[in-house]
Amino acid sequence: MAVVSPTAPAPLGDATPPTRHTVRSKRTKWVVLGLLAPALLWLLLFWLWPTIQMFFVSLQTGSFEEGYTFTGNFAIYGQVISEYSTQLIRSVTYAFIVTVGCLLIGYPLAYAIAFKGGRWKNALLFMVILPFFVSYVIRTLSWKFILADNGILLGPLKELGIIPEKFRVLATPIAVIAGLMYNFLPFMVLPLYVALEKIDHSLLEAAGDLYSNKRTGFAKVTFPLSLPGVFAGSLLTFIPVAGDFVNAQLLGSVNTTMLGNVIQRQMLVNNDYPTGSAISFLLMAAILVGVLIYAKVLGTEELTG
Amino acid sequence: MSRSREEDLIQQALLRGMTQRRLSRRDMLKYAGIGAGSISLASVLAACGVEGAKKEELGLQPLPAQAGELSVANWPLYIDKNGRDEDGNIVSGTLDGFAKSTGININYKESINDNEEFFGTQLRSQLGSDTPSDWDIIVMTDWMIAKLIRLGFLEQLHQDKLPNVTANVDDKFKDPWFDPGNVHSYPWAAGLTGIGYDRNKTGRDITSINDLFDPEFNGHIGMFAEMRDTMNFVFLKNGIDPVTATVEEAEAAQKELIEQRPLVRGYYGNDYTDQLASGNLWLTMAWSGDIFALALDQADDQDLRWILPKEGGNRWSDNMAIPRLANHPTDAHEWMNYVYQPEVGTDITEWVWYESPVKGVQELIAADGKDKPNMAKLASDPFVWPSEEVLANAYSYKNLSAEEEEVWQDLFDSVILG
Repeated sequence: MAVVSPTAPAPLGDATPPTRHTVRSKRTKWVVLGLLAPALLWLLLFWLWPTIQMFFVSLQTGSFEEGYTFTGNFAIYGQVISEYSTQLIRSVTYAFIVTVGCLLIGYPLAYAIAFKGGRWKNALLFMVILPFFVSYVIRTLSWKFILADNGILLGPLKELGIIPEKFRVLATPIAVIAGLMYNFLPFMVLPLYVALEKIDHSLLEAAGDLYSNKRTGFAKVTFPLSLPGVFAGSLLTFIPVAGDFVNAQLLGSVNTTMLGNVIQRQMLVNNDYPTGSAISFLLMAAILVGVLIYAKVLGTEELTG
Repeated sequence: MSRSREEDLIQQALLRGMTQRRLSRRDMLKYAGIGAGSISLASVLAACGVEGAKKEELGLQPLPAQAGELSVANWPLYIDKNGRDEDGNIVSGTLDGFAKSTGININYKESINDNEEFFGTQLRSQLGSDTPSDWDIIVMTDWMIAKLIRLGFLEQLHQDKLPNVTANVDDKFKDPWFDPGNVHSYPWAAGLTGIGYDRNKTGRDITSINDLFDPEFNGHIGMFAEMRDTMNFVFLKNGIDPVTATVEEAEAAQKELIEQRPLVRGYYGNDYTDQLASGNLWLTMAWSGDIFALALDQADDQDLRWILPKEGGNRWSDNMAIPRLANHPTDAHEWMNYVYQPEVGTDITEWVWYESPVKGVQELIAADGKDKPNMAKLASDPFVWPSEEVLANAYSYKNLSAEEEEVWQDLFDSVILG
């Protein structure tokens, strides 16, 4: 069961005799549809429908007080691209740095848990998700206390004269990226762990029998087999990070504003729904392009594991 | 807005397109055994436009019987507060006194961090779609009251139900520019926007708005996220009266703010106080009373001060009002009437350190000051009770029309969105 070939889904209802092939395949179709129905309905109602609606909203013009009406204003996309390109580039850059950083920290961690965890595996995994028991916003806020200019970290260092009085971490890109990495690390570790955990150790023994040393064994067996985890983890990290606004809001300054902050402000403070919707689509497009390039580079057959 | 023929045609075409799309999707859903009845034609139509938020003002509405329930939204640190009980509710002498004397169960929340944020998250979509907000009393700054009135978002007050208010409101708070005749609002407290700073951190006395633009304080300067306060400061710096500022002057102010931006730590609402208290900010735009209150329990190595810049500062009041369609308007009137008793006003003011609009409060605080030095200081503070001289250097906000506001807000957004 080490590698499942990416062909058609395993047939359902194996108990049915093969002679009734046509009947079975028809029933299978219904079963598959039935199984997919809840998710399809969910996507339809809470993703497709709002997305279509938001697209039409983005083409409206007007004002909050007088109302917005549809005018097919495609020019808005040009406007938001030129007006918010800084924040767009910043969001994508931060998301990229965070994804690579999480991978660098998360891979050795997941590897250690999966291969060397032994009977501590479950306890270690539990520790990875432990921070999730505290609300996301509270965890981010606590970083604000830890990193404060005269807080528990920098305060003593400043008193000792190790760092200058003006030194700060908060309200810099470093604080935002660090906060994002901290918050999204488990999203990287868990898929990596799942991918590494299911690797059949006898494959490594076989590699050893073929005179590969540990390093080659890792490079030729373990790492390629863990790629689906790398891919899933990267997506689970990159996509939400690119749209995040909490970390930039709490740990950053005006010089670290991300696209999520702009959307939040346009939607909730300025009530400029068309602009907010257009920026949302811009972000979606940017993420989609990024993910497609990534999938292309990694090779799509790796997706299915 | 007048809609042209072509737009009408586009609308019809769009509607047709969307209705057809809906039918085909419905067929697909039926195939999966699920009806699409929940997606009604109405929601398709709603997708074609977002209705305007502006409402007809309702006029004076008859008051229902007292409900025994009341929800109040106010700013943080704006009432005499003795911590919180185990349920997280604010413990306050004033709140207890109100509950005891009226039998009304009051739900008081410190929900307002800045006017626009509160408007955007708590009032706009609710009142814009004719559903009541969560609040019976809101406390908003003067220019926001003007905007709410313009939108038809406030109930008119029954003046005959407010005997304490009409008898005790100080003359200078009557008939304000943002609410002629106090038809919709009465002040909760008033104050000034100036500069708050930590003398030990800045190493020198701060006197001028220009100090907020000084590269020496790079990364430790705070500005406000509300467009009007911050724009006013730039106008004053340049010797312009904010009330008569033009759009060209606003554009120039925007340029200066963008130049200043790399030095700025952040653009804050009421949360600037935490940043100043924790030492992240060295100097910041600040509301007078906050800094007086912060200075009372500052850290040993802090020396928090507040000044009105020599170029001038902003003068404002925060005002109680009843949002449109409020659930408990009768109880809301009771609350306004209760807090306008001089004794109650004294309890509040001795804690919040902002000017009380209630006549007699300053005298009562002075009487308390005989054995409490802090209260004597409060009763005689020239910035809590601004003299003619101070007021001469304190400016109000421009009464922006809806169109002007949109332009100015866009200018300012490009500053604070980086």
